[in-house]
Amino acid sequence: MTLILEAVVFGVLTGGVYALMASGLTLIFGVMRIINVGHGALVILGAYLSFALLRSAHIDPFLSLIVTMPAMFALGVVLQLVFIRPLKEDREALSVLVTYALALGIEGLLGFLFSDNLVQLTAWYETASFAVFGFHIAYVYVFGFALCIAILAGIFLMLYRTTFGSAVRATMLNRTAAQLVGVNVDRVSAIAFGIGVSTAAAGGVIFGMTNAFNPGSHYDLISRLLTIIVLGGLGSLRGAVIAAVGMLIIEDVTAVVISPVWASFAFFLLLVIVLVVRPQGLYGIRVRERI
Amino acid sequence: MRKPAFLAVTGIVSLGSLTLAACGSNSSVNSGSPQAGTPITIGVSVSLTGDFSGDGKALVQGYDLWAQDENAKGGLLGHHVTMKYVDDASSTTQVVTNYQNLITQDKVALVFGPFSSLLTIPASTVTNRFGYAFPEPAGGGPSVFTRGIHSLFFVQPAPVEDNLVSFTQWVLSLPAGQRPATAAYSTEDDPFTQPQIDKAKALLEAGGVRTASYKVYPAETTDFTPLAQQVIAANADVVILGTQEPDAVAFIKAFQQQHYNPKALVETAGPDQGSDFATKVGSANTEGVMVPAGWWSSAKTPFNATFVSEFIAKYGGTPGGIASDAAEAYSVGQVVDQAAKKANSITNAALIAALHTGTYQTIQGPMAFDSVGKPSGASFLVQWQNGLTVPVYPPSAAVAQPEYPKPAFSG
Amino acid sequence: MRSPSWIRAAKWAALLLVLAVALLFPAFESDPATVNIAVFTVMYVGLATAWNIMGGYTGYVSLGHAAFFGFGAYAFGLVLAHLGIQAGYEPFLFVPIAGVLTVVLALVIGWIALRTRAATFVIVTIAMMFMVQLLAENLVGLTGGGSGLSFPVPPWSGDFFDTPFYYAMLVMAIVSLLLSWWIRRSKFGLGLLAIRDDEDKALAVGVPAHAYKLTAFVISAGLVGMIGAVYGYYVTYIYPQYAIDPLVGISLVLMVFLGGLGTLWGPVLGAVILEPAQLWLAYNFGASLLYLVFYAAVFLVVILLLPRGIIPSVGDLLKRIAARRAVGPSDTASTSDTHAVAGVQSP
Repeated sequence: MTLILEAVVFGVLTGGVYALMASGLTLIFGVMRIINVGHGALVILGAYLSFALLRSAHIDPFLSLIVTMPAMFALGVVLQLVFIRPLKEDREALSVLVTYALALGIEGLLGFLFSDNLVQLTAWYETASFAVFGFHIAYVYVFGFALCIAILAGIFLMLYRTTFGSAVRATMLNRTAAQLVGVNVDRVSAIAFGIGVSTAAAGGVIFGMTNAFNPGSHYDLISRLLTIIVLGGLGSLRGAVIAAVGMLIIEDVTAVVISPVWASFAFFLLLVIVLVVRPQGLYGIRVRERI
Repeated sequence: MRKPAFLAVTGIVSLGSLTLAACGSNSSVNSGSPQAGTPITIGVSVSLTGDFSGDGKALVQGYDLWAQDENAKGGLLGHHVTMKYVDDASSTTQVVTNYQNLITQDKVALVFGPFSSLLTIPASTVTNRFGYAFPEPAGGGPSVFTRGIHSLFFVQPAPVEDNLVSFTQWVLSLPAGQRPATAAYSTEDDPFTQPQIDKAKALLEAGGVRTASYKVYPAETTDFTPLAQQVIAANADVVILGTQEPDAVAFIKAFQQQHYNPKALVETAGPDQGSDFATKVGSANTEGVMVPAGWWSSAKTPFNATFVSEFIAKYGGTPGGIASDAAEAYSVGQVVDQAAKKANSITNAALIAALHTGTYQTIQGPMAFDSVGKPSGASFLVQWQNGLTVPVYPPSAAVAQPEYPKPAFSG
Repeated sequence: MRSPSWIRAAKWAALLLVLAVALLFPAFESDPATVNIAVFTVMYVGLATAWNIMGGYTGYVSLGHAAFFGFGAYAFGLVLAHLGIQAGYEPFLFVPIAGVLTVVLALVIGWIALRTRAATFVIVTIAMMFMVQLLAENLVGLTGGGSGLSFPVPPWSGDFFDTPFYYAMLVMAIVSLLLSWWIRRSKFGLGLLAIRDDEDKALAVGVPAHAYKLTAFVISAGLVGMIGAVYGYYVTYIYPQYAIDPLVGISLVLMVFLGGLGTLWGPVLGAVILEPAQLWLAYNFGASLLYLVFYAAVFLVVILLLPRGIIPSVGDLLKRIAARRAVGPSDTASTSDTHAVAGVQSP
């Protein structure tokens, strides 16, 4: 029983990280109607940026976010301007290919710079832990979770309490109508992409503190993130957060109750079951095609 | 820790049209004996990119060092040796293409093996089809031998599934009062690790050690905390893990986070990676960790001391930093050299016939191969003591007593 | 608009020439290494053509076709093992069984996945692929799990070994092309194109969209499964992560997009360009990781400059030149059938 409780607690803690990464992805979809298949690679890029700062200047991974998040924001804006905006026809399909090519490029570059060997972000407190309910929780998981909550809260505040947030929400609801009432849709798209990419940097640090990673790690990551945002309903931030935490809990509990090898299967099976009942996902609205 | 070999997407559109033209050279397979004294090329497909690239690079170091030594002695039976490496990006499809190309296009005289059972199996089918001998350093899972390929030779002292046998013998040799009562097992789902764990489990259960927990986890796992917690919850006396290096390190870190100290801890791979492993877990935390090994840098086998000093002269580093992959690759060359001398020929047919008889001396110790190339020896149990790995079992090879119970992690 | 008769004659001549080259290829080229590249190239011609029946004609982009490829290979291997079929030519006769089994799987997957559209459909196909891969890994008693599944090894010598597989792959590619050609001209195919242009409108004019999409999906998957079966027998050993390799799924899509989505010959051209280049470069330049960056760069340029693929872009260019010659500068030609074939609808 303790084991199951433990699994739930860890599901929530690790689910927070996936919620953060998935919220960036779903935000990008919501605003631009494109699937950023490169999101996983951007997460890994963020992790490697912090790894480089850790290795060369011994900067604590969490502190390094002060540098890497703005840098990744800028990168996101540039990527949007150069590669996403020129896509006019058949955006959804072509954006998959373009962002996939970006993922490959990032993977190749990281492989060239850092080699394929698995690495992990380290800190002096990485093995420190405290006891609750008869088991130990490492501080890194708690710090990471707290950071996710803080950033997610920031995104929600931005969306619902600022003028820019209103513009973003208007664009998500109806791009053309937003344009008609004077929203600069192109600018909103570029900034939203930047925000999504900078959350990837934050997610990358937390992921890299608790997981070993190499340049190829993004394939695993993106398949999970895509599943999460479809389960939550494409474009729904609330849905992404709930789906992320729910799925990680189910995965961890499956690993304990049945076997670790069936954990990811449970993850995908849940997606199938939800789609049979609600094809639009948990919080999705039925999106009209060909927007 | 295996990932799909995406690296194999390597097309460059503009060059595509040139390709078929570039491939259209004539060929016939090189099966005769090279003229005496002529130089020969030995072909190897190695993983220079992809998930096995770390091991692949170590293989190249071992093979290169052997070729250098061999040429200094006048070559393989008088033939100057050149090594040709091509990258398989850790992909089974590419490895098939590579050996086919090496044999028919590059017309290499001999081929040596790649890294891991996964790549060795498809590669051995191709090399066998062309009648080439296939001495290989790193594919020793049971599925390699069940295909019954007569031209394959696994150049390690023991088949992989027997790696933990010496560990189980040591456990069962302990006096009744000290002998552990329970064991917890966790293994990656991989043809290298899982057979070792399953065999150890069967032997220990037969010897009366109860199984407190047995879990298999997927190769893609990257967060090991939940898995470590299941091992800890079983609270067994000994912990037996089927790991590669990254998971071996991650488990030890997770045990520290959870303040858990089993009486004995053995991992199938990882602790055998020398100073690399020590840096990753912290040297103080290596104390008492066990690993099965066929080779270690201080082994008293013939020529090993020379190998170690030459290796450091060529590549730098310390004896503790030499990966066992490099020693295994070097042994492949040693075996082939002795077989060539015995057969007085370097044709593949002669080498295959020779390798099936007699015993061969390598830096890993003596070895002999059965009809499907399976070695008949046993591997050793090695333990980290005072920052070095030392053999502790069987007593005939041991230079130190096993440290039991293992001291607590330093935290 | 019908082409002039001399163009049609030229097309037939070109077609016969390509067919003759494809059929006689192993006779000209005896080097097994080259035939090996040809086997994989023809394999991708078949796969890309089969994928195009779903992805190109209906506009539903599946990134999970690797599931059917690997499933076909596993189904075939298990059928051979359970029926005790000996290595040699006989196993080729059982390839259709693998196709039938794949069709059954595709009915289940398609029924669920096709409840969704567009982006969601893409992601669901990826999820389904990983589920099939996990089943192959975890159902150890059936598939051998992480230790892989061995096929009987044909006793052919190295010099000859690839040739039967080349013809097996060629048969599959021709079957795929014939089906693709026939569908393109049938009422069924028109329905699929209507779905691609506007599914809701197609429904409104009475196209049984769900049944049509599912049929296209199942045909496409069945062909891919049969090709996977031949592949498994060719490599003689399959393993979950390589048999059901997301890379295979994405390669198909790249080939189709490069050649021309929704065209008959686009997938063929894409496969013939990309697959040999990939094998050759990996063999010769595999050691440098920067080649991935270079590949990504070239691909981005192709997508951004030729978003519709080679055949529609070149076709348009030729039409424009012809039209200019015939009636002077005019835009009427661009509304002709190449445009519809290209699969581009206004956003």
